[in-house]
Amino acid sequence: MNASIIDPLQGDFPEVIEEYLEYGCMKCIAFNRRGTLLAAGCNNGSCVIWDFETRGIAKILRDDECSSPITSICWSKYGHQILVSAADKSLILWDVMSSKKITRIVLQQTPLQARLHPGSSTPSLCLACPLSCAPMIVDLNTGNTTLLKVSVLETCNGPTPTPPSRNKCSDGITSFTPTAACFNKYGTLVYVGNSKGEILAIDYKNGDVRAVVPISGGSVVKNIVFSRNGQYLLTNSNDRIIRIYENRLPLKDEVRALDDLSENHNVLNNIENLKAVGSKCLTLFREFQDSITKVHWKAPCFSGDGEWVVGGSASKGEHKIYIWDRAGHLVKILEGPKEALIDLAWHPVHPIVVSVSLNGLVYIWAKDYTENWSAFAPDFKELEENEEYVEREDEFDLIPETEKVKGPDVNEDEEVDIITVEKDAAFSDSDMSQEELCYLPSTPSRDVPEQQEKCVESSSKLLDSNNTGSPLSEEAGPNGHMMNHASSPLEDDAGRMKRKRKPSEKVLELQAEKVKKPSKSSKLAKPKSKSLADQDNDNAANHKVVGKMTELKKRFGGICHYLFPTSYLSLGCLSMTTREH
Amino acid sequence: MATSTTSSGGGGTGTQTFKPYRHLKTLKDHENAVSCVKFSNDGTLLASASLDKTLIIWSSATLTLCHRLVGHSEGISDLAWSSDSHYICSASDDHTLRIWDATGGDCVKILRGHDDVVFCVNFNPQSSYIVSGSFDETIKVWDVKTGKCVHTIKGHTMPVTSVHYNRDGTLIISASHDGSCKIWDTRTGNLLKTLIEDKAPAVSFAKFSPNGKFILAATLNDTLKLWNYGSGKFLKIYSGHVNRVYCITSTFSVTNGRYIVSGSEDRCVYIWDLQAKNMIQKLEGHTDTVISVTCHPTENKIASAGLAGDRTVRVWVQDS
Repeated sequence: MNASIIDPLQGDFPEVIEEYLEYGCMKCIAFNRRGTLLAAGCNNGSCVIWDFETRGIAKILRDDECSSPITSICWSKYGHQILVSAADKSLILWDVMSSKKITRIVLQQTPLQARLHPGSSTPSLCLACPLSCAPMIVDLNTGNTTLLKVSVLETCNGPTPTPPSRNKCSDGITSFTPTAACFNKYGTLVYVGNSKGEILAIDYKNGDVRAVVPISGGSVVKNIVFSRNGQYLLTNSNDRIIRIYENRLPLKDEVRALDDLSENHNVLNNIENLKAVGSKCLTLFREFQDSITKVHWKAPCFSGDGEWVVGGSASKGEHKIYIWDRAGHLVKILEGPKEALIDLAWHPVHPIVVSVSLNGLVYIWAKDYTENWSAFAPDFKELEENEEYVEREDEFDLIPETEKVKGPDVNEDEEVDIITVEKDAAFSDSDMSQEELCYLPSTPSRDVPEQQEKCVESSSKLLDSNNTGSPLSEEAGPNGHMMNHASSPLEDDAGRMKRKRKPSEKVLELQAEKVKKPSKSSKLAKPKSKSLADQDNDNAANHKVVGKMTELKKRFGGICHYLFPTSYLSLGCLSMTTREH
Repeated sequence: MATSTTSSGGGGTGTQTFKPYRHLKTLKDHENAVSCVKFSNDGTLLASASLDKTLIIWSSATLTLCHRLVGHSEGISDLAWSSDSHYICSASDDHTLRIWDATGGDCVKILRGHDDVVFCVNFNPQSSYIVSGSFDETIKVWDVKTGKCVHTIKGHTMPVTSVHYNRDGTLIISASHDGSCKIWDTRTGNLLKTLIEDKAPAVSFAKFSPNGKFILAATLNDTLKLWNYGSGKFLKIYSGHVNRVYCITSTFSVTNGRYIVSGSEDRCVYIWDLQAKNMIQKLEGHTDTVISVTCHPTENKIASAGLAGDRTVRVWVQDS
């Protein structure tokens, strides 16, 4: 909604640490779909939900049964549920609004990553990647697990494919090497990156491998991630190369497309058939690596709009974030404190990156603010390059106030729509019939009777009521009492809630400068509107000079005469040069 | 006693005929000027703020007094409802803002930090922030949960007369006696746009349209304008009322057609057609300046507040 008045000349990737969040020892993070809430899994098994707009803690989910470090966090599509995987081999599904545990499942291996099915708002299936086993589909209702294949060796050896193995490691060779896996956009397929450097597309409903894409070099795949729009797939391999593949399958009909592709290759043997199909599913689009220091990568992912690729350096004692554009250019290296980086997330809609350091802090990286001069007066506008300005003959004539002509007429009979809200372009599949949880209620902490600033446990009660005034807000929980209960653990940790701002030195300077600007700008004379006319080549030199004077006039608000001494011109040019730098 | 006259211009959109509002009830419990009236977002309650240092919460259905909120040591100029209608924030001449529990009627929090009279206040749509404007020429953004001031915006050179959030809470509009109307970024506190910057007349009121695309701004030369802040041009002008001295609030009426409603210093409530800009109705009955008007979110009901010579809240309804 700010887009119409945000300066379009500014870049759209983060540049500096704007702030950091501190609560216990955070290990992993995940944004909800709209980026309004940030969930962080802690070392003590609790999950803290930050209101990303106020940067305050909105909720803490804690389970007495689980005090092990959390290994991953995943939101359900519309934000009502959170899936947590932990080092004690458990998966816990939380209802966010009520802070209730929906289910807890204990696996046979520690899940390093768990992902809820993306196509459902109340998913019952999730994809878990254990430490030393093949990825598996877990039914959260029944606790049943189904191992996925991580290779096609077995089917290659025999003339007929063997039945898929269940409930045990299907590939002895890779039993101690982790594999990476993720759902596609709508959750119809699982893409697995295995230890032989292959990408497998698996129809998890029947366990079939539908396509195989060999990665050059054959290194172990450590991460595999889709962009949010489902069009690009990213892999991070042990050879220190991040690869981007373009997804050639139609997003909503991928399984049928695979059926069509398979039928055309019946004459080939199975493994070659799968590779031929694979070559039509994914095409290598780009490779990224640090060719100088050859760093390993941690937590690579896409920006929310898929335009940027970001990866953290996996080196110890180094908090570096690399940002590439999709064309392959390295556009930025963000360097932070000397603490290893362990997790990373790009905000779904803003140019903000959030990173987790080994010591449990969460850093928020955002664009460096630059002063937008055109904000300070209605008639100002930013110029991308100098324009020649031709004065009107009577521009500086003094006209009585009553005779001033009105500005160009606005069509006042035009229909004005004050109600319609446009669909959010960033979320192409928005289903407005499904209410999304974007905000958790902010309850003011009651002042103590002495009216001091100190915060104490809240005693206010929330009643069930409609949030008609806040269309993006979820209704308060059906049981108002539960809300009061939910806030108790939050208050117990009031002393530990800390939010600090660490603006860069440059930001501090700009902020100081900004304090002076507003009062100064209000004294600026209102510049006259500009008009351009056809020019002769003979007057080119004069017009260029006049153009620069226009710049000066707009900046300083003074009236400049057409004729000026040479020294004044030099002074003006120097000033322009300094400002442009 | 009260009469209503219908403008000869007809009105409403082409497919609808405007039905005149009639006076329903007069609420008389305030002891001094009533400075502000607002329906809650769920429409069940009506809150009024007064120079008698109290707020009153009324039932919208029965128009009876539910709570009188006592605690401010000076008069109250403005109030705002949280989106879930649980809380009210009041802005007072005692330099503080207070957050009240609307159902219990007690004060939950006091926000201190302004150096002068606090003149205007609003919640953001998520009700996580409160924005306030003051005679100390600053705009402050407060965190609702902690009560701390998270931003102080020094962008005006005279008292701030109005502050409001847009639909998703990312922008703040501010209006000031210095003749300017500015748009700020909620997250960073940075100035994004200057919509009006004349030395005179003062901008007495500004608010976003329901979809956040337009701004309704009042200036102390009897003029209300609807602006497109993306292009920086005004689209509509509404006039005919009197507004030279007080910071009279206006609002959009959207429950039955599209109208602009405003108070006036000639003791009337004015209703214009949003598109055609003609005055449709003038509600008479108040005995002093009508300083504030509010429209019910779902019913065709308007509440208006009168100053010291009147001291009442009048409720007007439209027969269906």
